[in-house]
Amino acid sequence: MSISKDMKTEYQKQLHLAIQAGSADKGIELARNALDKGLVPVEFFEEIIQPVLEDLGDRFSRLEAFLPELMRGGMVVKAVQEKVLEPIIHEQSDEMASRGKIIIGTCQGDIHDIGKNMVALMLQVNGFSVVDLGTSVSSRDFIEAAKRENADIIAMSTLITPSMPFMKDVIARLDSLGLRDRFKIITGGAPVTREWANEIGADGFGEDAVEAVEACRQLMGV
Amino acid sequence: MKQTTRLLDILDRAENGPIVEESQWDMFLVPDEIERVRSEFDIHLDDVGDSIVPQDDALADRLFDAGLALAERLGAYCVSTSRRMQFTRNEILNPINVAPLSISFGEDLDQHTEHKRAIEDPAHMTIKGGGVGTPVPEDLYLLVHQSYAQEPLIDAMINCTMERVYGREIRSRSPWEILTGWHEAELTKAACKRAGRPGLALGCVENAVSDVAELSASSYGGFSRRDWHHVAMISEFKTDYMLLNKLTHLVRTGSVIHSFYNTIYGGSVGGKDGMAIAIVCGCIMLQMIYMTNTHSVSPSHPFLDNDTCPEIMVAISVAQQALARNSRLLTDVVITPVGGPGTKILLYETAAMAILAAASGACGLIGPRSAAGTVPAHVSGLEARFMAEVAHAAAGMSRNDADSLVRRLVAKYKDQLDKKPIGKSFPEVYDLVTLKPLPHWQAIYEEVKQELKQMGLNLT
Ligand code: B12
Repeated sequence: MSISKDMKTEYQKQLHLAIQAGSADKGIELARNALDKGLVPVEFFEEIIQPVLEDLGDRFSRLEAFLPELMRGGMVVKAVQEKVLEPIIHEQSDEMASRGKIIIGTCQGDIHDIGKNMVALMLQVNGFSVVDLGTSVSSRDFIEAAKRENADIIAMSTLITPSMPFMKDVIARLDSLGLRDRFKIITGGAPVTREWANEIGADGFGEDAVEAVEACRQLMGV
Repeated sequence: MKQTTRLLDILDRAENGPIVEESQWDMFLVPDEIERVRSEFDIHLDDVGDSIVPQDDALADRLFDAGLALAERLGAYCVSTSRRMQFTRNEILNPINVAPLSISFGEDLDQHTEHKRAIEDPAHMTIKGGGVGTPVPEDLYLLVHQSYAQEPLIDAMINCTMERVYGREIRSRSPWEILTGWHEAELTKAACKRAGRPGLALGCVENAVSDVAELSASSYGGFSRRDWHHVAMISEFKTDYMLLNKLTHLVRTGSVIHSFYNTIYGGSVGGKDGMAIAIVCGCIMLQMIYMTNTHSVSPSHPFLDNDTCPEIMVAISVAQQALARNSRLLTDVVITPVGGPGTKILLYETAAMAILAAASGACGLIGPRSAAGTVPAHVSGLEARFMAEVAHAAAGMSRNDADSLVRRLVAKYKDQLDKKPIGKSFPEVYDLVTLKPLPHWQAIYEEVKQELKQMGLNLT
């Protein structure tokens, strides 16, 4: 069922406010209310959540919005998806709204996480489902998590040269486990170049958070 | 002041403070508290208009109070124990009120003392020249550092990192990291000896991405207690056991501690107001948790990696003024331009930041971290000489004059920032035998100096 343009704008406005307030409860209440009015989960995702998040991502890439708002956007939407949309989607065994599942982390020995966090949030606000493993993630943990979560993409970040070899390790380890074809690999972070990403056999690379989203879209064909 | 008594107290807080999830700290506690103090202390940097070196003492004082309030309400966070490390107002003010107004480092004839400076102070800033962590290939490492050490105006050197060690890949927190730490010590000391300045203080252990290289390479035969040793605070206001290991070692060996905190524009701290508050609070927290001798906050732009955009510069200026007027802390400014060697923009950016720092009361200048410190070997000694010359010429300048000069310089480069003009690598701008700048780089340097003279800067 489709809703009126005015209603749509109103829901988008409410979601935007819930994000600014960092209130998962408000987001959840809003989604329940919209579904009560007859909207189906996929519509709520595509017509309410996505435009609001895309606008947030755009404003962030122009530095008109800052990280805290992006974090809240990610948090509120995650709560809405988990508490409201997904249970219904599973019941109806409908298509999952996510564009793909991504495991992300900063490589072993590296504690730089600001860029990685931005990438994770931008992916999330662009409709990917993201599992963030944090900083100093070992090659083994990347792979274990990807298997456990049945991920599509492993995204690795590092800002320091001495942690770059650990990216290679992940690929080598996947090779030796015969799992290389199961996951796409994307890399980024200041010292990582497109050439280097190619050289180690990664499937994608992103110079910044916007390119990271683009690269994952391409890899997932969405 | 450093001592075991205070160290124990700090370590205790990392074990006994309230447990908080890290995501809670990052997502709510920090941004919410910053927002609260921002409105409570009425911090609106937009009010200064286009000014980059504002002259508003009341704003600087409110900013200090806001930073202090943030430090008191927030404290720091230990990632390893998930605990908040909290301090009362008096506990914060006591060490700040007795912090020494100078610190000396380096040895014998090459010893240097860094002093507290006031806003518009005619005294020179301490010049800590070097590529600040920029990765450099092993075979160029000694020469690059010699190009800095041979510059007489440099009072201390700040090291680069190494791309490989003995031709092998370096891996963090492994034996390779330890070997790299030692290699850094051997080669930078050799560079200083060759330059005839064997006691020059070295900013180290730059390759210590974890605790192991710091602990090893500053033991017998490596870096000395009178070099200036780095301990980072993780953004925002976080530490961990690895960093506290470094601290504990440095306190027990009686070494000079230089700690730093790099906050990101548009990150958890928000825009320029939040960034200015975070810089002040950051320096206070560095003193609280690391008992540091010299404090530096090196904010960066999230996409350009630099600190030479006007919105970041104004935050640095007001924060330095706040700390100069209200504290005894020795604060340094890191210059992180987007431009690299062989470009005019690098020199414009460096000049703008050096003038800003001189007029805003900073005590030391670090860098320049050319090409944002991320492009291998894109650093050279000449830009550090230039940084020193401009800094000294700007000492004693009024904020008003500094502001107009800085704005003219920013206007020259602002539109090029997103072009990432990284310039050329060290072998393309220096003769590797004579270790002199190549004619084209020397000519650019002369030309920009001439321009600055015409703009009214008293350069020799
Ligand atoms: C902030 C910072 C810190 C903070 C980190 C705080 C934190 N919570 O992250 C602190 C103070 C702790 C720190 C510590 C150190 N740092 Co530091 N740090 C920086 C700094 C100034 C900015 C990095 C940053 O956050 N940028 C902003 C974000 C938004 O950009 P970004 O990370 O590049 O991310 C973007 C892209 O790269 C991309 N991206 C990132 N990840 C990914 C992943 C994928 C999959 C994709 C597609 C894209 C992508 O998208 C992001 C958003 O657009 C840089 C210098 C600089 N100017 O870049 C040095 C820098 C990275 N640090 C450096 C060094 C050497 C260190 C220390 C070793 C210093 C020392 N001796 O103690 C320690 C290392 C500690 C450790 N074990 O990791 C060097 C690294 C040199 C090298 N190549 O090895 C740099 C380059 C500076 C320098 N020249 O010294 N640092």
